[in-house]
Amino acid sequence: MMAIRELKVCLLGDTGVGKSSIVCRFVQDHFDHNISPTIGASFMTKTVPCGNELHKFLIWDTAGQERFHSLAPMYYRGSAAAVIVYDITKQDSFHTLKKWVKELKEHGPENIVMAIAGNKCDLSDIREVPMKDAKEYAESIGAIVVETSAKNAVNIEELFQGISQQIPPLDPHENSNNGAIKLGRQTSQMGRRCC
Amino acid sequence: MPWKQAGRDCLVEERKKKLGKWYRETVLAANRTLLVACHDLQSLRRSRHSGVFSGKMSSSTMKSSTMKTRCMDKRGSFFKLIDTIASEIGELKQEMVQTDLTVEDESADWRSLIKDMDNVPPEKNDVKGCPRDSGYDSLSNKLSILDKLLHTHPVWLQLGLNDAEAMEILKTQPPGIFLVRKSGRLQKKVISLRLSSDCGSCLKEFAIKESTYTFSLEGSGISFADLFRLIAFYCISRDVLPFTLKLPHAIAAAKTEAELEGIAHLGLNFWSSLANSKLPDPSPPCRPVPLDSACKDSGQLCLINGVHSIRTRTPSELECSQTNGALCFINPLFLKVHSQDVGGSLKRQSLRTPDVNGTMRPRSPPPRPPPPAINSTLTSPQISRTIKQASMPETVNHKKERGLDLLQNKPIPIPPPRLKKQAGCSEADSASRSVAAVGPGSVRMPEAAAVPGDTLPELAPVAPKKTLTAISESHIPWNGGRQRLSDMSISTSSSDSLDFDRSMPLFGYEGDTNSSLEDFEGESDQESMPPPLKPKKKRSSSFVLPKIVKSQLRKVSGVFSSFMTPEKRMIKKIAEMSRDKRTYFGCLVQDYVSFLQENKECHVSSTDMLQTIRQFMTQVKNYLSQSSELDPPIESLIPEDQIDVVLEKAMHKCILKPLKGHIEAMLKEFHTMDGSWKQLKENLQLVRQRNPQELGVFVPTPDFVDVEKIKVKFTTMQKMYSPEKKVMLLLRVCKLIYTVMENNSGRLYGADDFLPVLTYVLAQCDMLELDTEIEYMMELLDPSLLHGEGGYYLTSAYGALSLIKNFQEEQAAQLLSSEARDTLRQWHKRRTTNRTIPSVDDFQNYLRVAFQEVTSGCTGKTLLVRPYITTEDVCQLCAEKFKVANPEEYRLFLFVDDTWQQLTEDTYPQKIKAELHSRPQPQVFHFVYKRINSDPYGAILQNSNDSAT
Repeated sequence: MMAIRELKVCLLGDTGVGKSSIVCRFVQDHFDHNISPTIGASFMTKTVPCGNELHKFLIWDTAGQERFHSLAPMYYRGSAAAVIVYDITKQDSFHTLKKWVKELKEHGPENIVMAIAGNKCDLSDIREVPMKDAKEYAESIGAIVVETSAKNAVNIEELFQGISQQIPPLDPHENSNNGAIKLGRQTSQMGRRCC
Repeated sequence: MPWKQAGRDCLVEERKKKLGKWYRETVLAANRTLLVACHDLQSLRRSRHSGVFSGKMSSSTMKSSTMKTRCMDKRGSFFKLIDTIASEIGELKQEMVQTDLTVEDESADWRSLIKDMDNVPPEKNDVKGCPRDSGYDSLSNKLSILDKLLHTHPVWLQLGLNDAEAMEILKTQPPGIFLVRKSGRLQKKVISLRLSSDCGSCLKEFAIKESTYTFSLEGSGISFADLFRLIAFYCISRDVLPFTLKLPHAIAAAKTEAELEGIAHLGLNFWSSLANSKLPDPSPPCRPVPLDSACKDSGQLCLINGVHSIRTRTPSELECSQTNGALCFINPLFLKVHSQDVGGSLKRQSLRTPDVNGTMRPRSPPPRPPPPAINSTLTSPQISRTIKQASMPETVNHKKERGLDLLQNKPIPIPPPRLKKQAGCSEADSASRSVAAVGPGSVRMPEAAAVPGDTLPELAPVAPKKTLTAISESHIPWNGGRQRLSDMSISTSSSDSLDFDRSMPLFGYEGDTNSSLEDFEGESDQESMPPPLKPKKKRSSSFVLPKIVKSQLRKVSGVFSSFMTPEKRMIKKIAEMSRDKRTYFGCLVQDYVSFLQENKECHVSSTDMLQTIRQFMTQVKNYLSQSSELDPPIESLIPEDQIDVVLEKAMHKCILKPLKGHIEAMLKEFHTMDGSWKQLKENLQLVRQRNPQELGVFVPTPDFVDVEKIKVKFTTMQKMYSPEKKVMLLLRVCKLIYTVMENNSGRLYGADDFLPVLTYVLAQCDMLELDTEIEYMMELLDPSLLHGEGGYYLTSAYGALSLIKNFQEEQAAQLLSSEARDTLRQWHKRRTTNRTIPSVDDFQNYLRVAFQEVTSGCTGKTLLVRPYITTEDVCQLCAEKFKVANPEEYRLFLFVDDTWQQLTEDTYPQKIKAELHSRPQPQVFHFVYKRINSDPYGAILQNSNDSAT
């Protein structure tokens, strides 16, 4: 039996860049027994296998409007990963992304896995942010980067697979314990790491 | 039909009615809760047949068998099941007929019967004689296997034992003896079973599978609510085992609880002690059965075991069973009834395999099931009568009954009774059908009514509890006799819905047999809620019942006396222990609770207080899961992955429940002291006046009715002490908001849309208490739940509330559009070069205010202005300081970015100042006290009051 690890993932980025569309696409794309319905699209879960483990993503969406910015720390606190989304057709959203990266580096959980998603790649003819810029930037901060299209289901799975792979596997010593214990420990570890 | 012509009197009718009710309840219970698998049924009949009942088949059996077969043809297997249960119960009652024929002193009988509910051995045995051996002599031993297992778990439940130690113990034991332990290799609980010596290895391990709700043996489709039931079952039926489990002789032979306690006291030492040293007698000793008690008990026990002592899961839990879970649940009826004849089955065994060494034949084929025939001349009338009685309205009105009788007397075409449906449909509906159900068996009815010995036991299954109501409320002298009996049945029927619950506590259940109802009542403030997301179809398929049926179910739950789940029992037990200062745990909890209540000053802030409480709960949980104070150990009742959940709930009950009032009072005190209460109150009013668009809401919002619904939910939330249940209600609110937002559009909204709506809704609810509610949940919720959905929406609610709380500051911030900010920066560069050192008025509590008069120009003063001083107050202060004659003409303005903005009376200048200072680029601003109407610089005047500042 594979152990289930719960991983909190927070979604950051300007309003309108398609944060929730990405998650909806990821969670709802395939019929999957592991999906339990949630109240709404701002919190969703999906379980994916990764090596010997099952990763259950608990995806926390945040409100991208400026006025909610001050609440963000509450959402990214304890996250194992952050998906920071920008709109390739809006230079502004890429600026916001950089601000989020900076904030996460300063105040975010230690070792948080960062994934940059340049959404709306189906609209590349009106692109404002060159792929190259994003790649270079991501490299400089050691983040995963993909261009996605929630609309056409491009690179959505890959984005989360990338995150899964970046999550360090559990301490082998803990493998003898059952999943529940692991889960608890994992959670508390994350809790300690938080800002 | 013959019964039609038969003369009836009221008495008969009442009795019939009662039986009808009882039967309906039984059927209902069978429908809803006793999902007995065929396996169970088979074993039930099988052991009944081969054991105690084999000698009892009479000529009437044949009759019933034919009738039965006919019935079975027509109905599905489920009805067969119901039928069989009913017949078996009927048969049990038949036993009573036999034993009670000579009973004169009914009152004593009834009372002792009532006492028996507590498993207290009857003190009085007034029975004059015993007409014949009912075959239930083994029942005279009051202790069921389950009881024995419960009492002696320190002997056989050895979770800490390793492979070698288990082998060491079991190798000296006869085959069939077992231990339950946790295998280090499998990381699971296992039954270590001693095999017979010729099996090669003398020990075999059977792994126990634990799901969220149940225990089962690996490879078996039968699951159990707890470990004790599992073991008890396997003491009777081997299922996937090579043979049934066997209790050590000393335990099997024990007749009193004291004996068992003695054994239990030995713990692991039992195995090497003298108590266990005598090898089981090749022909197990027939327990000496005192004649008088034997037959009496047997009658009562049939009834008790058959009807009253069932402890099982509630239907709602049954439906929770996972899709991949085990096939079925074992009817506790089975365990109860058949645990009694383990002695009998042992006897049987030894008769068949007269093996002197006491070794059983491994893989002995299970006894063949008996022919389906069950004594029917006696049982079927009961059934048919009861079915007919189902049609009776629930009144005591004799006339009415008679009237209905007449109706019923009309011949009606007879479809087979549809019991299952009947359970789920309305009274009236079931009436017509059940009338038709009256079968040939009813011929005997009038006679039945005439023979007291016959009617009494028939009433018995319903009567004991309800009669108590009658006794306690109407004070009918309880002398027995037929007339009394009829009185009783009248008052019973009248009291059946309302007074029933009240009568329950009278039984004073104790220990494991604790009545569930009391607990239901006790937790009424914590009404159990299904998770908000439970798929609707699930609910409707299984638990949406008409109200009347629900109320009947409740009654049934009373008849069956405890629907208490292991979880509830555990929580109750822990809660009881927490009040018992003789335990270490009880001391710990009681001391902490009283310390907190008496030392109000021991916490510096609300967060500090709540965090300490949370920490305490976590520590106590750890203590409980490791200590041996819990008896039986929690592992035996609760599947492993649920232990923490159960302990958490128990903590809420024993720590938060008594502290709830104190915590709330303290939170309020803290918030009043630090001003946040007032701040929230004022801002809440401001936000409430905004329309949704102003709050950034661009989706459908809940209307007045929805807001009212939400408020009701929040009000309910305030009554709960469990943070988890509070969160559950919060989730329901969020679900409602989402439903309104989506408005069947199929669009999925993320946080960008949800958070503004939530803010709007929380403001509309206008409940200041929400602030403390959210804080309570945030700090006291099990930290492991904070990452889940509950945690998410809790965070969102917290966020929304803090936005509301800081609404004015936000408004102040919004004054300055980004464009204005840029201008400001330039202006700042131009005008101030050395304004890096903070002056006194930058510090908290001081505000530099300029006084501007057209005539005299500008003068400045630094005023003492505390953070929660409003503009109105500052204006007053200024009027004094600047000696203004007509203060009503003057107001406070903020001059920033070359723009004048009049501050409304209810804003806080200090907060605005703080906000301006917190900007990454310090901005220059001035608070200016000046005339409203004169504007020497021609700046814009802001007269509208509702756009604050």
